This record gives sequence, structure tokens and C-alpha cells, in this order.
Amino acid sequence: MKPLLLHGHERAITQIKYNREGDLLFSCAKDHTPNVWFSLNGERLGTFNGHNGAVWGIDVNWDSTRVITGAADNTCRIWDLETGTEITTISTENAVRSCGFSYSGKQIMYTTDKSMGFESSVYVFDLEAGKQLLGEDSLMKAQSSGNKITSAIWGPLDEYIITGHENGDLVKWDVLTGNQIQRVQEHKGTINDLQHYKDQSMFITASKDKTAKLFDTATFEHLKTYKTERPVNSAAISPIRDHVVLGGGQEAMDVTTTSARAGKFDARFFHLVFEDEFGRVKDHFGPINSVAFHPDGKSYSSGGEDGYARVHVFDPLFN
Amino acid sequence: MNTRLSKMAEDSDLMRNEDDLCLEDAEDVVVENGFGEEPNFSDPEDYIDDITDDELVGDLLKNKPKETDGFESVIVVDGIPQVGQERQEKLEKVIHKIYSKFGKIITEHYPKDENLKTKGYVFLEYSCPAHALEAVKMTNGYKLDKQHTFSVNLLTDFDKYENVCDDLEPPTPQPYVDHGNLWYWLEDPDCYDQYSVIYEGGAMSAVFLNSHPEPTPLRTRERWTESILVWSPLGTYLATFHQRGLALWGGEDFRQIMKFQHSRIQFIDFSPKENYLVTFSPEPDNRDDQQEIIIWDVRTGLKKRAFHADHLNEPTVWPMFKWSPNDKYFARMTQETLSIYETPSFGLLDKKSLKVAGMRNFSWSPSDNIIAYWVAEDKDVPARVTLIEIPSRRELRAKNLFNVADCKMHWQKCGDYLCVKVDRYSKSKKEKSEWKYSGLYYNFEIFHMREKQIPVDSVEIKEYITAFAWEPVGSKFAVIHGETPHISVSFYGIKGGGISFLKKFERKQFNHLFWSPNGQFIVLAGLRTMNGSLEFVDTSDFTVMAQSDHFMATDVEWDPTGRYVSSGVSHWAHKVDNGYWLWTFQGKIIRRHPMDGFCQMLWRPRPLTLLSEEKIKEIKKNLKKYSAQFEIKDRMSLSKASKELVEKRKKVMEDFRSYRERKREEFIKLKTQRLELRDGVDTDELDSHLENLEEETVEFFVKEELKVIEE
Repeated sequence: MKPLLLHGHERAITQIKYNREGDLLFSCAKDHTPNVWFSLNGERLGTFNGHNGAVWGIDVNWDSTRVITGAADNTCRIWDLETGTEITTISTENAVRSCGFSYSGKQIMYTTDKSMGFESSVYVFDLEAGKQLLGEDSLMKAQSSGNKITSAIWGPLDEYIITGHENGDLVKWDVLTGNQIQRVQEHKGTINDLQHYKDQSMFITASKDKTAKLFDTATFEHLKTYKTERPVNSAAISPIRDHVVLGGGQEAMDVTTTSARAGKFDARFFHLVFEDEFGRVKDHFGPINSVAFHPDGKSYSSGGEDGYARVHVFDPLFN
Repeated sequence: MNTRLSKMAEDSDLMRNEDDLCLEDAEDVVVENGFGEEPNFSDPEDYIDDITDDELVGDLLKNKPKETDGFESVIVVDGIPQVGQERQEKLEKVIHKIYSKFGKIITEHYPKDENLKTKGYVFLEYSCPAHALEAVKMTNGYKLDKQHTFSVNLLTDFDKYENVCDDLEPPTPQPYVDHGNLWYWLEDPDCYDQYSVIYEGGAMSAVFLNSHPEPTPLRTRERWTESILVWSPLGTYLATFHQRGLALWGGEDFRQIMKFQHSRIQFIDFSPKENYLVTFSPEPDNRDDQQEIIIWDVRTGLKKRAFHADHLNEPTVWPMFKWSPNDKYFARMTQETLSIYETPSFGLLDKKSLKVAGMRNFSWSPSDNIIAYWVAEDKDVPARVTLIEIPSRRELRAKNLFNVADCKMHWQKCGDYLCVKVDRYSKSKKEKSEWKYSGLYYNFEIFHMREKQIPVDSVEIKEYITAFAWEPVGSKFAVIHGETPHISVSFYGIKGGGISFLKKFERKQFNHLFWSPNGQFIVLAGLRTMNGSLEFVDTSDFTVMAQSDHFMATDVEWDPTGRYVSSGVSHWAHKVDNGYWLWTFQGKIIRRHPMDGFCQMLWRPRPLTLLSEEKIKEIKKNLKKYSAQFEIKDRMSLSKASKELVEKRKKVMEDFRSYRERKREEFIKLKTQRLELRDGVDTDELDSHLENLEEETVEFFVKEELKVIEE
């Protein structure tokens, strides 16, 4: 299985995501230009130009018409996917860490970092309102006091948002009231990534505490744990098999003190139910920052600190 | 009470009388200063007071002056010199100097006899009782000079000593606590060994049974120890370190067996037979008047003897006390003096130390009561290694050596051989009171302890020596020598009285040698800076059984039976990839145990085997028979384990499937809501929204060809 090498970024990739059909792959990086690719042949469809800072998060709505990006230049931008033009810019008080479209695509959310007297917060906007979106026009705003939000996704059916925090907390926020519905702490370290199972009934967390964990979305019940020896930056669940893929690796500062053969930067495959590791894909020159399964489950992609995104197609035998 | 004391008591009565006089004076003054006539507050004569003073003014009564008030501040110092009047002033000065350290002295009273000579004791009164107490504590037993040792007491203690009951009341014997079978782990039917592990950066400790196929945790405890864990040499006890002292654990469930109070212990050392324990604390608790080094009886927990360590002036070399192999003697070297103590009396052997000018170091034979020590070179007198027998102090063997920079003594574990590694120089130069040596080369002086008159053989190696190790059982030794990248490992053997060169491995990356406790097998290891390369060698024919590595390994340990080897990356030395790995003695990896903040792994030692040599030989002869049995057993346990695993997995899978089924039903129920949100478009499956799909032609880049076309 020879991977497609997508080289469109000059700096570390921060997030990659497929659209619902899986024909497009979106990537954003610490350089200022998110890219969109054809997942089938690795050809670049286009870029989204306008950000002036590292882009931390990217999402696409369900019918692939709009793209949202959040960046360290204190803006969250919404783009027209077909033309690549910017539709609107929301100015924020702080760097935007993660962003996303709701199930209906009619609402968006983003989370901001904590700094300069502003608490880390989660914001929700209604896209249908039709007017220019400004920071103060949010439908909902909720603060996470003292505890930075490091990742966020929508729950199913536009009802709540799930956030992962610096200290390992998972919080469920009511979209209408901004109240915390539920809070659990199963991780001992920063939650770097949250990703749903295809039907959104479960989600997987990736944490700096060297584990990834599977949770029930509705109850936050902790179902499974996938253990590694390295911080986990991203994790995804296969839509067709009982597999999960974990991406991560040694932090840059510790790289020189570890063995070259210790499997630092491998994408690691675990059995969803038995929690056993059964395979590794060695590829990147640096830690993997984001992984994503193709919606058809026959390929997956990873984006790394080395600036490359790689599309791996599983062998036909495997499928 | 002897006459002397009663005399003192009389004198003290005298002082009391003087005080009484003063009090009377004070009363007079009050009367004189009285104010004219007062109204009559007195009760009528028939009034009966039913309120006791205690109820009325209990708080004041507590402070009511008592006869003994003030006496707490008085101390009696006995054993001071008896001097005439002419020298009394000088004596007072000396005493004052000693005792004014503890607080302000209000009165000094030197009782004198009819010749005006002091009686050899003095009463001192401090301004407060605390100072008096401190003075008693600090100066009791103070040696002023050879003839005069102070015995200091509080004056109030005299009453206490006077009222000592004449009938001896025997102390009630402590009930015997049965700790169960402390050696139970030796009865393990599968002969599994145990090991202790500290992890999570020191927060967690545990003892595991090295069972097959997975280790079994026996006891896990949070904050079991504040620094390290130590097994006693025969494996009976596990020692844990705490702020207040040391605790020993043992028995089947690792209950606490004994506590030793010695605050901030830094080092401990068990005697080889586990009868005694030496603890060292650089800053013991002053309140309990502890000393730096305490020797304890392990079974009773009693303090046997304490020593001061001059650790501020001398670097602490641990162990400070070295034990003879049978716990009978222990010795300590201080500035060219070797003090040998006896057990169980804990007195100095023959009441005198051994003084040897220029003595640099010593060590006990691991099997006999023999001490080896070496004396440094001094001008024209050569350096000398001497073996003496204890307790006779008879010199068994001495060997003179020239051009010696340093010596290191290595005993073979059975005590059959002693190797003295001698660093010798070709040139020496004195620079700022320190000797600088150049052109170093190395000699191994091998003492054949079991032969008549102890013959000595010598091996010379020109290169720098990193490590030396005896085969614990046997007559081979291994040496790592040379500088990177030309590091070699050489093996020598003793055969028929002579030393023969056996084998050399060249250009290796090793800095440590680990012999199997049973000999024959050795692990060559490049720890820490050498990235953890490991090589397993069978020295019977010098085949390299396995070459491997445990990256950044900091420790290698053989299990006490020589069946397993563990390697570990300790959190104390290295912050990433902490954990320990288990290998067979042949270098086959058994298990890797990555563990967050793993610090230390120690095998539980075993006592020496009780089998006779014939029996061991017999077992070795019939090894084939036994190994077949064990193989069957291993296979059975494996298949049992795999069967269990399969069943467990089946159950896990079933649970998960039923969970998924529930979720699927919920998902189907919510379909209308989903359709509503996405404008009636069914997106539940990839292909459920067919009108959205569009045929597209996609070009694949296959290959690129560049051709120059002729113009």
C-alpha cells in the first residue's frame, strides 16, 4: 500500500478531515493556508487564502458547500467551498482552537484559547440569521473557567457540544442555555482530539496521557482504552471494521533521547473491542497530529508535524 | 543512695532554707503597706463554705506557687574537679563557660568542706527550667579531662531517685507476635520468584510474582516508601524509607513487621545474615538526641549501638560498617584506624582498634572471618596488601607492591579468590599537595585463598579498565578494558594454579558486566550513555547466545536463581520510555513492561540452597527427566491461559455487540429528527442520497516522460 503524499503545506499540519462523501480531504496547518484535495488521486483542488496565523481547526458542512476554519489570528472564517472565497469573518478575542458545523449545518461553533484576561470559551452562531456575524451576536457563549478547551465537536442533532480540556476533562454543553450538562474526567492529560463514530453514538478521545479512549456519546460512559507509550494526538474509528487508528508521537523536545527504532511516529491500529494493538504504519518523519478514516473505510489519512498529509489505501485483500 | 548523694541533698536543703527566709521577708513588707481599716467582708462564724477553692478560683490555683517552684531550673553537676580556694575562681570560670551556653545562670553554689576545698559538685540555677533541661541533656557524661566526667542531674530528680522502690518490679514481657512464615515465598509450588517495583515517579510501589504468562501483583501500595525499596540480603524483609525512620515488611501479605525510628535515613545496610541493620542519617532528630549511625537488632527492633559520623569533614562512604560473613564482627575504618566490633556484645574486639599508618581501605572475605586491607605507598616503603584473620589478628599473607596509585579489592563470591586491581604508574609528580600519576597500567593480583600459604598470581593489562567481575561460582573473571571505540571484553580463568587467558571480544559497546548468580552465563551491557546494548554469553564455550538492546537501559538485574534477567529504564536517570523488560538467561525477550515513571525493579533475594552438593549433582544429572515434566506443566498452563483468554474475549465481544445493537435501535428511532435537520435528505448511509452522486472523470498521474524533439 503505497501512500499518496500530499505536499501543500510549509509547516506542521494541525488537522485533516474528509467531507461526508469522502471525495474531498481538507487540511489545515500552522502555515496560513488551508488546502482541499481530491482524496482519490491526491490532486489539490484549491486553497483558502486569507488567514494571518496558524490555522488550528477546519470543518466542512454535510452537503459540502461551506467550510469553516479557525486560526490563531483571532478569526474564524467561513468559506464557499466551490469558489474558495471567504463568506464571512468572525473576529474573536483569542486564538480559535477548534470549530465545526452542526449536524444540520445551520449552526456553527468554535472554541477560543485562554489568554490576556479572557477565559477559554465556546461560541455558537446561527448561520441562517443572514446578517454579518460579529463576536457579540453569538447565539450562545459559555466560559470554561480556568481550564482551557483543547478540542471540541458537536453532539448529534444540534443539541449539545462536547469539549475536551487541558486537564483531561470532558464536558457536554447545552447549545440553548450554555449550561454544562455533564462533566467527566477519565484522562490525566490534555485531550488533543475528539472524533465521532460514523453514527455519532460513540466518540474517541486522544490524550497527552498516552491513551485514547472510547466513550458513549449520550452517557459519557467510558467504554474502552487504547494504551501507547507516546502522547496521542489524534484518533479515529473505522466506519466498517472494529478498528481504531491512533496518531501521535514523542514530543519534539524528547526526540533525540529515544531510540530510532522505538516506533515513535507510527500510525497505530488497535482493535476497537479488545483494545490490542495489531498493526503499525511507519511513515512520517515527525509526530502525527491528525488522523482520519475515509467514510467508506477503505483508506485513511494522516497529517504530521513534518507538513505532509498522507493518504493510505488499505490493500484490497484487507478490505 | 551513697553518702555523697545524701550530702548533696543536705546541701540542697540548705538552699531551700535560704529561699524560705526570703519569702518571710516579703510577707512582712505586705503587712507594713496595708491600707487603713477595711469594711468587714468576713463570713459569719457559723457560715459553712460549700464552694471549694478549686471550683471558685481553679484557674488561679493552678498558678499557686509551690514549694518546688524554681527548683526545676536548678541542676547539679557532679564530677567536677575538687580544688582549693586559690584555684576556685578558675574553676568557676571554666564551669561558667560550659554552662552559660544553655541560658542565663542566676546562681552558682559551690559547696565546700571544712578546708574550704570544693566538694566536687556544683548547683547551678538557670532563669528557666527549659535551659536547665537542655544543660542536663547536653552535658551529662561530658568529659572535662581524663579524670573528670560530669554527671549532671536536675535538682528535682533527686526526689525521684530517692523514692526509687527497692523491690524490683520485673517488666511485663512483650507478648510474642507471630508474623507467620516469613519464608513462605520459598514454598511456591512453581518456584516463581518475586520482585519489587517502584513506579509513577515514586508514588506507587508493588511486589509482583514473576508468574507465567503474566506477572501477578501480590501487594500494591501508594507511597509505600519515600525513596527506595530495599530487600534484606536473604530476602526475608522488604525495607521502606520514611520521614521518621525505616519499616520492615514481610510475611504472606507483606504486613509491617518492625519499625526503626531514625529520622531522615539516607542509607541502610543489613548484616549478611539479617540479624542486624545499620542505618545512617546525615541529620538525625536532635530532640531525641539521636546519632548519625544506629545499629539495630532486626528481630527485636532494639537499638544495639549508636555511633557519630563525622560526615561533615569526611565524605560518607557507604557502607561505613562492613560485616563479617557470619554477622559475628563488624568493622569500620577511620583515619588509619580499623575498629573491629564484636556481636552480640557490640564492644570493641579485645578492647582496642587496629592502627595501621597509611591504611586506605579494607574488606571482609565473603566466606571467612578474614579481612584484607591495603596500605598506600609512602616514600621508600612500598604499598602493601595484607590479609588478617579475625579475631586472632594473625597475618595470613602480605604482598608488597610498587608504584601504586590505587587499589581495589574484589572478592569472589565464594571467597575462593581475592583479586586486587592495582593501578600502577610509570611517573608521578606532586602538584599542589596532590599526586598526579601518568603512564598508568593495571595489574590484577589474584590471591588463591584456598591454597596453602595463599599464593599470588599477577595479570597485567595496559589499557584503562572500566569493569571487573568474578564469576560468582567458579574461577573465571571478566574485564572490560580500553577506551571508546576500542573497548574489549576479556575473560580469564584459573586453572591448575595458574591464570590463563580464555577469550577476548573486541570493539564492543559495553560498560557493565553481570554474571549469572550461578556462574557460566554473563550479560555484557552498555548502560546509560552506551544506549543499552546487551549481549548474552555462555562462558563454557564463549558462544554469544543473543545480541539485543534495551534502548537507554539504566539497570540490569539477574533473578536470584539465574533463570531470568531484567533490564530497566529508570525514571531517576531518564524521563522517557520508562519500564522494565524480562529476558531469559539466553537473551530471549519474555515480556516488555512499559510503566509510567518506573524507577526501580529489584528481585527478591533467596537464601542459600539447603541442598547438599551431591544432591545438586544428582539433579543436574537427571535434568532431562525433570525438564520434560516442567515442559508439560508449562504447556498446560499456557493452554489454560489461552483458553481463559479466548473465553474472556468472547464475552467482551458479546457485551460490545449487544451495546452496539442498543445504540443502533436508538439511532433508527431518531431518523425523523435527522431528516428534519438536513432538509429531508437521508444521509445515514454513504449511498442513501443517490441524486447527490455525480459521475466524474478523474485523471491519475501515471508517469512523466521528457523527450527532446528534434527541431
